[in-house]
Amino acid sequence: MRRKLKVEKVTCKVFLFCFFFSLFTLYFSLFTCEAEAKVYIDIMSPGLKKMPIAIQEFSGPSGHEVPEIVRDDLEFTGLFAPIDRNAYLENPEQPFSQKNWTPLGVEAVVKGSVRGTTELQVTIMLYDVYEAKEILRKEYRAGKALLRPLSHSIANDIYSALTGEKGIFRSKIAFVRSEKGGKSLCSMDWDGNRIVSMGLEGNILLAPRWSRDAKRLLYSAERNRQWGIYLLDFTSMREKQVFAATGTNIAGDFFPGGSEVVFSSSKEGTPDIYRMGLDAGKPARLTSSYGIEVSPSVSPDGQHIAFVSDKGGSPQIYLMRKDGSDVRRITYEGSYNTSPSWSPKGDKIAFSGRTGGNQIFIINPDGTGLAQLTGQGNNEEPSFSPDGRYITFMSDRDGVKGIYIMRANGEAQQRIIPKGMKASGPRWSPN
Amino acid sequence: MKKIAVLILLIFGIAAIGCQQKKIVKPEQPPQQETPSHKEQAVVPQKESSGWERDRTGVKPGEEITEQTLAKVETREEPARFKEESGLFEDIYFEYDAYDIRDEAKPVLQGIAAWLLKNGKTKILVEGHCDERGTNEYNLALGDRRAKAVRDYLVALGIASERVQMISYGEEKPICADLTDACFAKNRRAHFVVLREAGR
Repeated sequence: MRRKLKVEKVTCKVFLFCFFFSLFTLYFSLFTCEAEAKVYIDIMSPGLKKMPIAIQEFSGPSGHEVPEIVRDDLEFTGLFAPIDRNAYLENPEQPFSQKNWTPLGVEAVVKGSVRGTTELQVTIMLYDVYEAKEILRKEYRAGKALLRPLSHSIANDIYSALTGEKGIFRSKIAFVRSEKGGKSLCSMDWDGNRIVSMGLEGNILLAPRWSRDAKRLLYSAERNRQWGIYLLDFTSMREKQVFAATGTNIAGDFFPGGSEVVFSSSKEGTPDIYRMGLDAGKPARLTSSYGIEVSPSVSPDGQHIAFVSDKGGSPQIYLMRKDGSDVRRITYEGSYNTSPSWSPKGDKIAFSGRTGGNQIFIINPDGTGLAQLTGQGNNEEPSFSPDGRYITFMSDRDGVKGIYIMRANGEAQQRIIPKGMKASGPRWSPN
Repeated sequence: MKKIAVLILLIFGIAAIGCQQKKIVKPEQPPQQETPSHKEQAVVPQKESSGWERDRTGVKPGEEITEQTLAKVETREEPARFKEESGLFEDIYFEYDAYDIRDEAKPVLQGIAAWLLKNGKTKILVEGHCDERGTNEYNLALGDRRAKAVRDYLVALGIASERVQMISYGEEKPICADLTDACFAKNRRAHFVVLREAGR
């Protein structure tokens, strides 16, 4: 009798425990279900394994080009491993079936169709192999001339669906092209395609800097023996001179609001950093050492400015507050560190440091975490992508100064402009 | 006891199903556009795996891809203020990463100062240049310091500072392009241009 009672007491306790445990699990799982959607790829996790993805040929005209561009975009991120089409078991026209993909280890499948020849209508479908369901279906329309931006939009949407992050595949890179006649300000897709000249010429042109809303460019040009700082407004396609003075005047950067800029000028004797409202026009000097202060770069939150100073005896990277106070040196290794550029995420500053040749480094704003990213030739003028995951820079490793890109950890370094084209000063658009 | 077991299983079941209905993260949706000329959609027939509910939030409205075409910008050419004359004086050279005046350069600068004193109505433009090994912006600043060092030396020799104009070209206008020390040395220079008022 007793034994039975004892057993009952124990089993009752066990059941009570199970009851409360399951309530807890239910509460917790409902809570997480409400707050978070499924994230297929967590781009923040270290030691990431690339997601095997299949991008099938699309049906219709240009059915080959569109998925090629999508595949190249996704592959460059370093997060995806596109599987070779020769291994596919399913034809593009066949409807998606999980059993055709699981044996290949593929986790996501992209299918699509293209209709029209001058006006394109492209439909894409993205499938989750593990859950055997369609997770994205979307249609895009564009004239044939915009086939590349259309394909990049597809890549952006697939990237967002799988990572939860905004893609950068429709972003641009502004740069200065050198030809026999002189220099010109140009813009191109982030992958080096569709280079267009903005028609601006100058004997010398330097340092195009995007406003945060991508509507304007700030740059320096030497005309008639004088350096001026100019603003190009994309909406009006007009150029306006915003600063000129005797001396060397070099465009710096915009503040987040877009109405104030920083630049360097030697009008008071030696190159110093100035801050100026674009409408007010009266610059305020922020630095005033006997040395050179140049290359100001504004932090994403607009509170700090990174710049180069040689007041310590050699050019090094410093930080200061936006009003010029609290100046701190952040580079202590190497004898020549210049070209600082903030990541839009605010966690890293890229710069060019000399170790034999000039190489691209990144460093945390507090001076820790120094890492060298390049190793061949001379590499200068780094600029981050809008999501902070890629860097564009100038390199002469192929014998001619050209524009290159890489992932922000140094992987996948590649030239993006045609071989033999001479260019420098690349600057990634903010969107 | 059996009832409690069933209750527990039920709770687990609800928790499991509840998680199936989670939404996939949606990127920003563009506003749905009314396009009367829109052709009928040839939707690829959906082969649905059995048992899974079609997630309606995965279907996106169509997107029109547009891009601003950039017109070319006109650059305003300003008239030159001075008539320029090059070649009267030889270039002087600098050490790597330095802007101080070397002893070899001093006789040239003394000659320039003497000429300027004799030709009171002229000005001189000093161009500061660098070799291409530094970075563009810092080299512009270094060229600026070189031009200024020359200006200061001429002023010390008695020339009024307004008569000495300066401009830096950094590494942007090299006179040779070889990646040799000899070429680098030739590029680290100050170059002199005589300026006469336009029209004289």
